[in-house]
Amino acid sequence: MNISNDNEFKAALGKLAGVRQRQIAARFAESVLALCTDHRLKTAIDSAKRADVTRDELAAAFQSAKAVSVDSYTQCGHDCNWNNQAVHFVAQAVLAALKPAEPGSSPAWDAAMHARMARTCERIANGDGTDNTEAAAQYRILTEFLKV
Amino acid sequence: MSASLDKGISVLKEMIDAPIASYFSSCVHCGLCAEACLFYTETGDPKYTPIYKLEPLRRVYKQEYTLLGRLGKMLGLFKPVTDEELEEWKPLVYDSCTLCGRCSLVCPVGNDIVYMVRKLREGMAVSGHAPEGLIGASKRAVEIGSPMGVKLPAVKAQMKHVQQDTGIEIPLDVVGAEYMVLMSSMEIINFPEYLGAIARIMKQAGKSWTLCSEAFEATNSGIQIGVSDIAATLVQRIVDGAEKLKVKTVISPECGHAYTALRWEGPNLVGRAYSFEVLHILEVLDGFRNEGLLKTTGFEDELLTFHDPCQLVRRGGVLEQPRTLLKMVAKNYVEMSDPGKMNWCCGGGGGVSAIEEAEALRLTAFKVKKTQLEETGAKTLVTACANCRIVLEEGLEHYKMDIPVVGLTETIAKHLVEGASDEHQQR
Amino acid sequence: MDADLFLTWVRGTGLNISIGIFLLGMLWRLFEIYSLGRKPDLAVPRHRAGASGLHTLFRRSVPPPGMFKRSPVSYVAGYVFHIGLFIIVFLFAQHIKLIQELTGLSWPALPAQFIDATAVVTLATMLLVLAERINKPVKRFLSTFGDYAGWALTFLPVLTGYLANRHLLLAYTAMLALHILSVELLLIFLPFTKLMHAFTLWGSRWYNGDVNGRKGVPT
Repeated sequence: MNISNDNEFKAALGKLAGVRQRQIAARFAESVLALCTDHRLKTAIDSAKRADVTRDELAAAFQSAKAVSVDSYTQCGHDCNWNNQAVHFVAQAVLAALKPAEPGSSPAWDAAMHARMARTCERIANGDGTDNTEAAAQYRILTEFLKV
Repeated sequence: MSASLDKGISVLKEMIDAPIASYFSSCVHCGLCAEACLFYTETGDPKYTPIYKLEPLRRVYKQEYTLLGRLGKMLGLFKPVTDEELEEWKPLVYDSCTLCGRCSLVCPVGNDIVYMVRKLREGMAVSGHAPEGLIGASKRAVEIGSPMGVKLPAVKAQMKHVQQDTGIEIPLDVVGAEYMVLMSSMEIINFPEYLGAIARIMKQAGKSWTLCSEAFEATNSGIQIGVSDIAATLVQRIVDGAEKLKVKTVISPECGHAYTALRWEGPNLVGRAYSFEVLHILEVLDGFRNEGLLKTTGFEDELLTFHDPCQLVRRGGVLEQPRTLLKMVAKNYVEMSDPGKMNWCCGGGGGVSAIEEAEALRLTAFKVKKTQLEETGAKTLVTACANCRIVLEEGLEHYKMDIPVVGLTETIAKHLVEGASDEHQQR
Repeated sequence: MDADLFLTWVRGTGLNISIGIFLLGMLWRLFEIYSLGRKPDLAVPRHRAGASGLHTLFRRSVPPPGMFKRSPVSYVAGYVFHIGLFIIVFLFAQHIKLIQELTGLSWPALPAQFIDATAVVTLATMLLVLAERINKPVKRFLSTFGDYAGWALTFLPVLTGYLANRHLLLAYTAMLALHILSVELLLIFLPFTKLMHAFTLWGSRWYNGDVNGRKGVPT
């Protein structure tokens, strides 16, 4: 199956079970990881991608992603640094992947949304509009993921 | 005397009115205001006593508006206020005051101390003694339209993002809509979930609403730094936008000072009452609930507590609404000590979170919130101000407390009954 | 100077001078303060029962939630010596007689023993208040000469009055003259010191409560 729009994308994500949700969410975060030099997120993503990860490892990964998320916030009244803000949303995407699942929540979709925000922030930082192709990249990542 | 100091003093003279004269004449130096101020209670340093932060203003009052003070000044007994003195007071008037107004609520003789701090800031700003962080924010607010440098394309990007996320079209510049929704820069930059929540709630309630491309920003750095001209310019922008779009109600977002700035100071800044109503988002949601337009399902599992934003509660009068709303989606809800109008500030209001050099002090003052939270044992902290939210998250991270902080509007939106809007539209 | 002459002077000329300065000073101060006025509030008020300037006039005498335990001495001692002063000034037979001579108004007095006991409690409480001012870092930090002078100006009339009434230390005439003199000093300085709060606190509470009331913040 080839995913080419958000409806298909959302529907396909909705069919994924817990662990697979987390793994694909981590891949969405990974796709924007280049926007962030903080190694803590890379480690956290690696944990989230593993099927055999322990509960403790997930909790530790969540903590470190949370720290990055808070560090990269733009504080109220400060001039927004969109590069930092991109890092913040990468961290948010990682957090979405690692969050303990709640009924009705869809971690992978949330991670995808945060990753798109990260990409938007990067574009604003570079001063070349806000359009980007992260959604299309995510369709490809999911298509590949579903083939495995 | 430098020209800027001269201007500062004359601004202070203009600021002094009967209430201020009455307040200074009533103070008995009992020090109770210190006990109400988190910067004193958490540091134990008497210089953070609220009434002491007003010394320069009190001296101007005494030397300009009292007979004995004027005599004393003429005879050289009282020294005039100097630039050095104002510079020395900068950390007291800005870094260690969040304009939370707790002192004004406890003063036994009734002094509205925060009213005076707000006025003193006018003189401080004009004479060049405002902190860099606030100067930058105010400049960006006037020149760019947002204290954090957010421009319309960023807003549009977020609208598009929320559209993708929720599948709901975000209206922009719709003339004749019932509600005009404002956002804080914080919500545009950090919390896209707020706009998403609004879109879903408005859809369910079947209400028409719009964003305004000329007035999307609700916050007002002019109030925080203490420059009424800037504050008035920023309010006027919203008034113009709302009148152009002919909306009935302007909704102030989950931001504390944006609400007091627009709702309570605004008409006085622009010199007239508005042709529209200003409501905080929580007032709007509670109104929807009353009319049966807000339908939720299910409850939060975790033990929740609510952090009252000072400007919303103590300075704004929105007290019951957050509680009524929270109880719709939380059975497991606990109040902090001193809830409602007596709540303790997060430590970052009144522009403090934008002042770099105030950060260490702010984190020290956060200890009061830490203690309050520990007492409740809550697992999630809900609030209704984007600035409180970030300051709380930073404080919790600093003290290694693992408590997520969420906005009340998005928490309500999480529990919306899907498809309930069709029902309303049929009625 | 002989004690009788001294008493005659403080009862006549002295009293006239001090009451004159007190009244003129007070009128001037009140004018100086309240003639500054304030701008009308253009924001549409929110109405809520129990929130207004009038409510604040009275409710501000009660410690707000959580405040009592932070500074219990301020509250307890504050109540005791203010109520004590009120009882001594307005419910002592001789004072009522004086007021009756001046204004024609009168009301029942409390027994002299009770007034004596109240004076002792008030004096003790004022000493405690002074000790707290010296010991508590915030109070000591805020205190100026005016605070100690205001304390002394209030303490001395109570002390001399008590001593005169109990015929202690000096002959009654001399102590009574000192008592009246101390009251005259109090009257002269009241409008120009923090003791002025006895009058302006009502205005302050009203302004503060009015602003809160308009916003719908209960007091």
